Formats: sequence, C-alpha cells, structure tokens
Amino acid sequence: MTKYAKRISEKDNVVTAVADCVAGDTVTVKYKKAKTQYTCNQDVPFGHKIATVDIPKGSVIIKYGETIGSAKKDIKKGDWVHIHNVKDDYKCLDKNGKPLPGQED
Amino acid sequence: MEFRGYYRPDGKIGARNYVAIVPAVGCINNLCSHLERLIRGTVAIRHDQGCLHPPADTAQVTRTLINLGKNPNVGGALVVGLGCEMVKAEEVYEGIKATGKPVDMVVVHQIGGMIDTLAKGARALVNIVAEVSGVHREKAGLDKLVFGTKCGSSDTTSGLSSNLVTGEVCRLMTQNGGKFIQGEICDIMGGEYALKNLSVDKEQGEKIVDYVRDLYMRGYFVGADTRGCQMTAGNVAGGLTTLVEKALGANAKGDDVPIQGTLDYAEIPPDKPGRYIMNFPGHGFENLTGSAAGGAIVHLFTTGRGAPNGNPIMPTVKLCGNSKTMKTMSEHIDVDVSSIIDETETLEHAGERLYEFAVDVANGRLTKCEILNFEGMEILIKGPVM
Repeated sequence: MTKYAKRISEKDNVVTAVADCVAGDTVTVKYKKAKTQYTCNQDVPFGHKIATVDIPKGSVIIKYGETIGSAKKDIKKGDWVHIHNVKDDYKCLDKNGKPLPGQED
Repeated sequence: MEFRGYYRPDGKIGARNYVAIVPAVGCINNLCSHLERLIRGTVAIRHDQGCLHPPADTAQVTRTLINLGKNPNVGGALVVGLGCEMVKAEEVYEGIKATGKPVDMVVVHQIGGMIDTLAKGARALVNIVAEVSGVHREKAGLDKLVFGTKCGSSDTTSGLSSNLVTGEVCRLMTQNGGKFIQGEICDIMGGEYALKNLSVDKEQGEKIVDYVRDLYMRGYFVGADTRGCQMTAGNVAGGLTTLVEKALGANAKGDDVPIQGTLDYAEIPPDKPGRYIMNFPGHGFENLTGSAAGGAIVHLFTTGRGAPNGNPIMPTVKLCGNSKTMKTMSEHIDVDVSSIIDETETLEHAGERLYEFAVDVANGRLTKCEILNFEGMEILIKGPVM
C-alpha cells in the first residue's frame, strides 16, 4: 500500500507523513497534480515530518509556507524532522521587539 | 446552492427561529430552565456571570447578552432579571429591543418570588412565541451568511485536513460576500505575525498581536509561561514540533484569506464582508458564545478526537479528519473529511462539500449537537470574581 505524506505549501521544506513509516520506506506526496517521492532515512511516525531538501544547521524549517523553527544540526533530505533537530525560536515580543518577561529559554 | 432564512426587523437573516430566555445573572438559571420546559419554541441561554465583576467585565457580559439577543437565529426574547445584579436587565432588554424584535422583561424582586415571575414570564413568552413562529423562511443571498469557526479536541489530523477544509470554506464564503469569524487567541500564539501580515489594515493587524501579548501577560501574572500551556506532550508525540507549527495549523481554518479587522469579545463585525479575528479564547463554551454574539448563524468546529459541545442558539457543525474517531464518535460528527488524509478527495472538493453542508444546516438541517441536545454556554470574563 502506498504511504503518503502531505505538503501544505509550495514553499515548505518538510512534508508530513500520514502513515507510520520505517527507515527505507518511500513516501508519495501529491501536490497540485504532481507526485513526488522521498525515501525516509529513519522511522517517521504518522503525523511527523520528513525533510524534502537538505537543511543546513541554523536554516529555517518551513511548513504552511511559514518559518516554524530552525535546524539545530544539519538535516539531510529524507530525515525525520522533530524536536531532536529543530529549535523552537518563538518568543512573545513586546511592541519594541523585546521578549516579554518569563521566557528565559 | 441557496440560503433560505428568517428575516429579522433589522435586516439580518437567521438560520433558526428561536425565542431566547436571557438571564441577566446566573442566580436565576433555574427559573429560566422552568420557563424553557414550560413554553415550546424557547431556549434558555444559561450562564454563570452577571454579578460581582469589575466594571469592564460587567460591560462585557452586558454586551454579550445583548448581542446574543441580536443574533438573527433569535426571533424574540424574554430578559429575566433578579433585581440586585450588576448587569442591568433593563439595559439588556433595551439593547435587544433596538433590533425591532419582540422582547419582554421580568424582574424577580419586582414581581416577588419565582412562582409569580414564572407566571408572568410564561404569559409574555406565549405572545412572543406566537408572533415569532409566524416568521417563515424566505430566499436570501449567500452574502447574508455569517460563519464562526474553532478547533477543539484537536490532533495531528486537524492541521492536515479539517482545518484546511474549513479554510476552503472561508475562502469560498467570503468570496460570495459572507462574513467569517475566527479567533482562539491561545491557538494564534506563535502565528500572530502570519495573521498580522494578512490584515488589510496595519493597525488592526497589530491588534491581533496585542491580543496575544495580553493573553501571555495574564498567564505570566499567575506564574505561567503561556507558550508552554499551549504545547502539550500529546502534541509533541503527535508530531507537532514547535508552537508556531501548531498555531499555523489552527490559523489554516481561514486559509490565506485577507483579514478585514479585529473584534472584541462578542462584538458584531461591521457591515463589510470578509474574515475577522475575534478576541475569544479556545475554550469551547466561551468561544462559541463569542461567535454567536458576533452574529454567526452557523459555526464550523473542527475536531480530531471528537469534541461534542455546541451552543444553544447557533448550530455547530463538527468535522473530523481522523478515520478512527469517525468510527468511535460518529454520533457527534457531521462531516467526515478523513478522505483528505487518505488522499481520496481533494481539498477543493471537500471544501465545497463542507460549504454545501453548512448552507444546508443554515436552511434547517439539524447538526449532531442539536439532535443530541449537546449544548452549553459560558461568557468570557477577564478580571477577578469578587
């Protein structure tokens, strides 16, 4: 049975698996009538993300066409993308762009 | 596709024809329940607020009750006061009456006790129901539709299917001249700048960010980092990596439709079609109330695991993209969009299907919430309870 992953926006550099995948599995992405395939480098559970290109350390992760975080280490095409290799950069900012209190990390 | 609704004296058009029993304060909920049981065609909008608030919350509760009475799904109303509460029954009565709908009022302390108030209130309701039941559905344009939206009991499928399908409806219905109310400030946290960028007015866009700052600071004052309250262990196990990712999945209920403006809690949008962001929380009861008070006649409620609740005056459509939930919770879910996850239906097609279903509901088809009487209500307050 074909295993699928979903792309939300053209700009995205990750797709989301909608089947439980194991290392070596090929996932198919249907997006705007085009079909693309990626090979999983690691196990990727349902709902988790797979890189569609190499993402060097410090570069941004894009989903929904927006930046959702940045790479903590070099991420290879086909890698499982989650909290082990992505940094959550979000802070709630005041009008001057400074973090509001209580967000030390 | 055609919308047939109930025309109100103020020109608004409803999807239901209720007579609302509106308590000014929670102390008299029981009395309102008795009236609801006694008189056919009525719905009591019970809540637990109305007294011992700071002035800003008294104003917010008053505005909410008036605007619930103004919702076009309500054809007439009976306002019930106790007599000593901070929210003034008379102000609520006058506010709803301004629409031209039949409205009456009873105040327990003035009449003297529950039993006589029940008798007087019941007689008033007989006249209001008789009048309102004579209003019939008539043809109306799709531009008269106002939909609200929220997500609840979400899971990984929400941001990949049901929210995206709702986004399609937002695009289609606003293109047809309708209004779409979105909010859930807690879920916007992390995605506030994406929404700001979609705002047609820069100042209004900044207000969305202000709503998030305000929520963050209210959490901070009780020792919480609100960011952490949003990302649960279940979210991470389900594959959500960052708060921004979660927020963008929630924001997707409006796709990339431009945002016309912001609304305070329970505020009615201006007479201009498009997508609006209301300062309402994620919590279902207060959220649905805010949407209904804003004038939404149908609410689109996406769910992953199966959130059952609805609102007493506003039909709430449940849609779900999780095929397992569709098996276990189907009695609570109206529209199955698990086809998006299975890759057996396009987003565009599912969006049209949901839009048609929502219009069908506006035309009288009952939602699962309505069939099951699965309804509740609460009004958002911001300050301390004294």
